[in-house]
Amino acid sequence: MTSPTSQMTNPSAVLYAAGDLRFEDRPAPSLQDPYDVLVKINFVGVCGSDVHFWTHGHINNKRPPPTGLIMGHEASGTILATGSCVTRVAPGDAVAIEPGVPCRRCKSCKDGVYNLCPKMRFCASPPDAHGALTGVYVTAEDFVYKMPEAVGLQEAVLVEPLSVGVHAVRLAGVGPGECVVVMGCGTIGLMCAAVARRFGAGRVVLVDVVEGKLGFARGWIECETFRPEAGRGPEENAERLLEQLGIEGPLGLVGVDTVIEASGAASSIQTAINVLRPGGKYVQTGLGKDKIEFPIVTMSEKELLMRGCFRYSSGDYELAVSFIAKRLIDVKALITSVSPFEETAKAWDLTKNGQGIKNLIRVARLDTRSVL
Amino acid sequence: MTQALQGKNPSFVLRAAGELTYEDRPVPDQPGAYDVLVKPRWTGICGSDVHYWVHGRIGHFIVEAPMVLGHESSGIVAAVGDKVTSVKVGDEVAMEPGVPCRRCVRCKEGKYNLCADMAFAATPPYDGTLARFYTLPEDYCYKLPEGMSLEEGALIEPTAVAVHITRQAAVKPGDSVVVFGAGPVGLLCCAVAKAYGAKKIVTVDINEERVKFALQYAATDSFISARVSAEENGKNLIEQAGLGMGADVIIDATGAEPCIQTAIHALRMGGTYVQGGMGKPDITFPIMAMCTKEINMKGSFRYGPGDYQTAVDLVATKRISVKELVTGKVKFEEAEQAFAEVKAGKGIKLLIEGPAE
Repeated sequence: MTSPTSQMTNPSAVLYAAGDLRFEDRPAPSLQDPYDVLVKINFVGVCGSDVHFWTHGHINNKRPPPTGLIMGHEASGTILATGSCVTRVAPGDAVAIEPGVPCRRCKSCKDGVYNLCPKMRFCASPPDAHGALTGVYVTAEDFVYKMPEAVGLQEAVLVEPLSVGVHAVRLAGVGPGECVVVMGCGTIGLMCAAVARRFGAGRVVLVDVVEGKLGFARGWIECETFRPEAGRGPEENAERLLEQLGIEGPLGLVGVDTVIEASGAASSIQTAINVLRPGGKYVQTGLGKDKIEFPIVTMSEKELLMRGCFRYSSGDYELAVSFIAKRLIDVKALITSVSPFEETAKAWDLTKNGQGIKNLIRVARLDTRSVL
Repeated sequence: MTQALQGKNPSFVLRAAGELTYEDRPVPDQPGAYDVLVKPRWTGICGSDVHYWVHGRIGHFIVEAPMVLGHESSGIVAAVGDKVTSVKVGDEVAMEPGVPCRRCVRCKEGKYNLCADMAFAATPPYDGTLARFYTLPEDYCYKLPEGMSLEEGALIEPTAVAVHITRQAAVKPGDSVVVFGAGPVGLLCCAVAKAYGAKKIVTVDINEERVKFALQYAATDSFISARVSAEENGKNLIEQAGLGMGADVIIDATGAEPCIQTAIHALRMGGTYVQGGMGKPDITFPIMAMCTKEINMKGSFRYGPGDYQTAVDLVATKRISVKELVTGKVKFEEAEQAFAEVKAGKGIKLLIEGPAE
């Protein structure tokens, strides 16, 4: 029996299994150490991974525990309370939340790649790293980012996917003047393209099979677009793309400087390898099938530099906040819907059905600071 | 003094410039969850320790209250916090003496040696390791592999300095490397550069004995600096050491102005220069030569992620040898004597034993 969330002190959206979402009054967390902050969650965005959990009940065979898992990892909030050593935020501040806190002690953390920390606690990760679809959330001061007055709490949710784009573009080493192709025109592809532009890319080309997405991209940022044809192989699509771009010469000897792969689709990955010039750079940020057929000889003979890309690490969130705060990237345009908290499942279904770009969930009833 | 030495936690303390003494400091609490309580066994002395003793300060770090000295140590684990898994009581460890905040931008980007809130042993206001007990986090303790002695463990700190400098210089196989200064850090830079594949390693000093030692330790060539212009000195160095168009890499481990100037003139076009040594804060520098030769110049400060572990690995796998750098060992009660000897420039590395049980 579920009670209406309005009667709950700390209403939370808890996933038990595929299709089994329950609203429960979970105990509100408290400050655990002097560097912690307590945050009232305002908005949470929907991502492909949320949809995956909702539909399949697991990611990589990791399931919610029998006691359920609070979902949500793209969040914005308002500071409610701060630990005694906190200096950078104060109650009432609007913040974007970085959802994964690493251990700070292991080799990966100290090497500056904390996104690879084996003890990472990331929102909505089984078994017990609860997410942000809740009333009150606790985290460390250095994982919340104060947003300027002019940036709204809805926009602040977009810092998370924008940080994924920042991380990908930094790993790709995009430099001024480059020709950059982004495969996949979903939220992440769009973010990668926008960031590549801000890193000085001379040409940015978005590739997708859905014309509508490409149309949005053309209206959103300065870019070119290309739609590969179904039934055509990766070499042929690569040739046509290069032809459209006016890059002349035999396939294998000419191509673009950088490709950021943000779809995870095997055909897209294969096309990407063919569209790169010798010595070109490739970053894999899209997630699809774990094992695919891959043109490894082409990759090897062209001496391509290939890097995996996972979430975000040191400096990415700061840069994303800065892009939004300085109005260099217009993330507001990606917000397509805002659903009330009780309709979380509906928001997930919107994304699942390919509707909208970024669908948000309004968690706090009012966008004002409340006293704990 | 004897009272303090009979105490529960006898500690070797600098009260103010020129004033060394022993104090019985409070025994540290049981270590926190991720911490380790160590009994330091051997502690080396470095130029910076002597500097604090003589001047009571280094730059804006001022000794304002009595401070326990020592930061180059190895020891035996006495107690561990309940979340510690990589070491246990009785283990022999090398101790990395600087713990950063873990939360700031520098820490999270992989440069914790540059943390503004670094707590470093025997840098005011933090106490050092010349005591019966010292607490540090688990991830700053490095278990010594089988066959590595505690004395060698005490050399890991300066070895890590040399590793960091060598990494800053990006020494690669086939490089020619010149190291100015044949003190412990200079010697270790020669050894580490060799382990990183340098094919020619030139040791430079004004002291013939040190140069002789360096040649049998790790250097392939040597040069005695002369009192001539830096340009002439550099030219002579290139000629005498057979450096062709100039050295690929030069490391300064002296901080001495004439060495720094000579180095710039001894590098090839496009060469790399790393400043490891510390001397006068401001010097006259051949900036035109640095510019027109497009020299890649970097500072180097202490050690960062991976350096301590690499130092342990290099010694453990015998890619470098540090035993021969230990030229003297004294008991805890004779610590001041050791300081005086280092100040007088005697020996290479002197080790002070931890207090007797």
